[in-house]
Amino acid sequence: MQSTAKQLRSEANWPPEEGEVISFKSSTGSEIGILNEVHWGLVWRDFILEDGRVIPEHRISGCPQPKVWRKMNEVTDREREECEERLLSMAAAGMDPHKRDQPFWAELNQYLAYTYLRFKQAGRKVQDTER
Amino acid sequence: MSQSDEETEDQHIWRVLSEAGLVEIRLEEFAERIKDVKHIVTVRLRELLNFNTDLQERESAAYSLGTLKGLELKLLANAPKPPDPSDL
Repeated sequence: MQSTAKQLRSEANWPPEEGEVISFKSSTGSEIGILNEVHWGLVWRDFILEDGRVIPEHRISGCPQPKVWRKMNEVTDREREECEERLLSMAAAGMDPHKRDQPFWAELNQYLAYTYLRFKQAGRKVQDTER
Repeated sequence: MSQSDEETEDQHIWRVLSEAGLVEIRLEEFAERIKDVKHIVTVRLRELLNFNTDLQERESAAYSLGTLKGLELKLLANAPKPPDPSDL
């Protein structure tokens, strides 16, 4: 662990800052990592660690409740198209989405969640207006 | 008051995604989840083709469906092959 890393965040400061040590749930229990960057995906925020792992916000210890999601209409067509292009490029390059917490896994997870919400909600609105 | 009346929008999204198994996709379930999402997009695209004249939304849905099919094919092609029984 880097000596320059800041100590675990306090509850009042969210999201944590770059360089902070964060704790998160993994398939093997609880782990820690040094935060490099936080960015919004199509649905939720991803926390990118210095070792390249991508952890969704809801798995980070101390994530405020209720969880915050992005509104579907905040995502621009350009943003969605860029995400689709990245995913197809990663798949074409033979990257494996079955590697948990890696960029392809993270991006595909968000894209599927976003696409599901987008078309499920659109279909529901049509049904509601037809009633 | 029903359960859905008490839910905030954020809670609703969490529930919808959790029920669909899309908050944190299990590694062995990617193919199945892609299939589920493809089904939702296909249903919506059918609605758009039948009842809606919004060409842009139709094109966008068709493009998303194409992306999902492309991803599905690539993932299937890259999936590890089961051992050949004759090699055992």
